[in-house]
Amino acid sequence: MQPIICVEGVTKAYNESAPILQDVTFKVEPGQFTAVVGPSGCGKTTLLRCIASLMQPDTGSVLHRGQQFKEPPSWLSIVFQDYNRSLFPWLTVRKNVAFGLRDKNGRAERVLAALRSVGLEHAADLYPWQLSGGMQQRCALARSIVVTPQLLLLDEPFASVDAQTRTDLQDMVMDICRRMSLSALLVTHDIDEAVFMADKVVVLSTRPARVVEEIEINLPRSRDQLSTKESPEFLHLRHRVYTLVRQQAHKSTIVASTDRT
Amino acid sequence: MTSKRSNIAPLAWQVSTLLAVLVAWQWAAVTNPTTHLPPLQLIFTRYLDLLWGDLLWSAVAPSILRLLIGFSIAVLFGAVLGIVIGSLRWFEPFLRPVIEYLRFIPAVAVLPAALLVFGATDTMRIFVIAFGSVFPVLLAAIDGARRAEELLTDVARICGLSTAERLFRVTLPAASPLIFAGIRIALSIALVMMVISELIAADNGLGYYILRSQRLFQTANVYAGVLMIGTIGLVLTLFLLTFEKRVLAWHRGWRGLSNTKSA
Ligand SMILES: Nc1ncnc2c1ncn2[C@@H]1O[C@H](COP(=O)(O)OP(=O)(O)OP(=O)(O)O)[C@@H](O)[C@H]1O
Ligand SMILES: [Mg+2]
Repeated sequence: MQPIICVEGVTKAYNESAPILQDVTFKVEPGQFTAVVGPSGCGKTTLLRCIASLMQPDTGSVLHRGQQFKEPPSWLSIVFQDYNRSLFPWLTVRKNVAFGLRDKNGRAERVLAALRSVGLEHAADLYPWQLSGGMQQRCALARSIVVTPQLLLLDEPFASVDAQTRTDLQDMVMDICRRMSLSALLVTHDIDEAVFMADKVVVLSTRPARVVEEIEINLPRSRDQLSTKESPEFLHLRHRVYTLVRQQAHKSTIVASTDRT
Repeated sequence: MTSKRSNIAPLAWQVSTLLAVLVAWQWAAVTNPTTHLPPLQLIFTRYLDLLWGDLLWSAVAPSILRLLIGFSIAVLFGAVLGIVIGSLRWFEPFLRPVIEYLRFIPAVAVLPAALLVFGATDTMRIFVIAFGSVFPVLLAAIDGARRAEELLTDVARICGLSTAERLFRVTLPAASPLIFAGIRIALSIALVMMVISELIAADNGLGYYILRSQRLFQTANVYAGVLMIGTIGLVLTLFLLTFEKRVLAWHRGWRGLSNTKSA
């Protein structure tokens, strides 16, 4: 089967500055949960925007089952990093979720089902600004799954909520992806999160971002916050990813200090 | 508690101030009868004359009609054009100087030109009203569209909305609080332009009624006409505020929240 997404040699620079992404190449296989880890500010959001076709890469291409596409396609949806700016403040939770649904048939039921799967059915008639951060992010999640996409892009969706909410959301997202057999691409700077949730971790370098290594995460799919995170396999994989990321951080400080001299 | 009291006290003050003005007027009119200060009951009778009978059709109705048409054109045109200009980020800087310049032309100054182009017609008066009141709406819509959250536009693109749908379903609601502020300013300008446009070469409308009454030294009619204009402005403003309150309920909650957060 062709990969859901094939990122091939993507390079991107903002206005004549040095490139943010340099020759980024990797694949997202159907039904898999792929995580991209990279340090803060390395270009993760830029990468997701290129994949979603919200912007076009300078060189290279993004293929869906071998095909190119130019506009944001309907088989893909995103949960953005900044939940409190990505919900429409003039729409209730219900209408925010319904926003992406074109066809009127069974609309109410689909919205309700999406709200149920994120546990927000009781808050359907509230406005986003009346919700806590975690609830807002669940609302954004409901909006992106209501269209039954093939691929879910997640841009550090758990970065700005407290630790407890964060683990709950991680479990919720994994559960939803399994039940709806969604492929997912999560970008994050949190190594534990990446290893815990993903089937494959793609490690990005510091600027310009390149793929340093792809690591298969062969942990059993039913994952548990306690037992999985304590298992030797998990700790081993986490160690590997950590080492790679730390090498990157080290390199960037060397580059910075040679720049200065 | 405190907010309730601070609402009631000014209202009581407002009513008593109004009463004081009326009493003073009446006292002056009675003790010192001249044609300049007709007694209140006479003004009131003339005011009622404007509300039913022939004058309703020859003075009040034409004015209201022109006002509503001109003002609606200004609101529609200003909002739609402003949204489009404001969301074309590369285009806006080119248009900005033109709009800023046009804005400084008092609509009154356009009146003679409008008279030449359209003649002494309703079209001329409606044009003048619309021209005068379009700028606050236009500028507010441009500003509102420019300040609309770009991330929301991205959300709409991911949801597969076309450019036109995005303007209507994202940019317009995002800009609506500013647009409403512009509309309120526009209404008062429209009222001014309505009266002025009816002072020139008119044969109906409230402006014409006031002017003619003044020439015939019917002082009470002049005041009744002025009061009627005030009434129209008041009623339309109340309509507008009620509408705004419903449409922008989300904005008060949202802004109220971010205010308490930042405080
Ligand atoms: N629209 C833009 N114009 C110019 N530069 C930009 C733009 N957007 C992002 N950048 C720059 O590109 C770099 C990468 O940004 P990006 O948001 O993709 O990183 P990120 O990995 O998502 O960061 P974070 O961890 O903070 O979310 C940053 O240095 C940022 O300043
Ligand atoms: Mg980011």
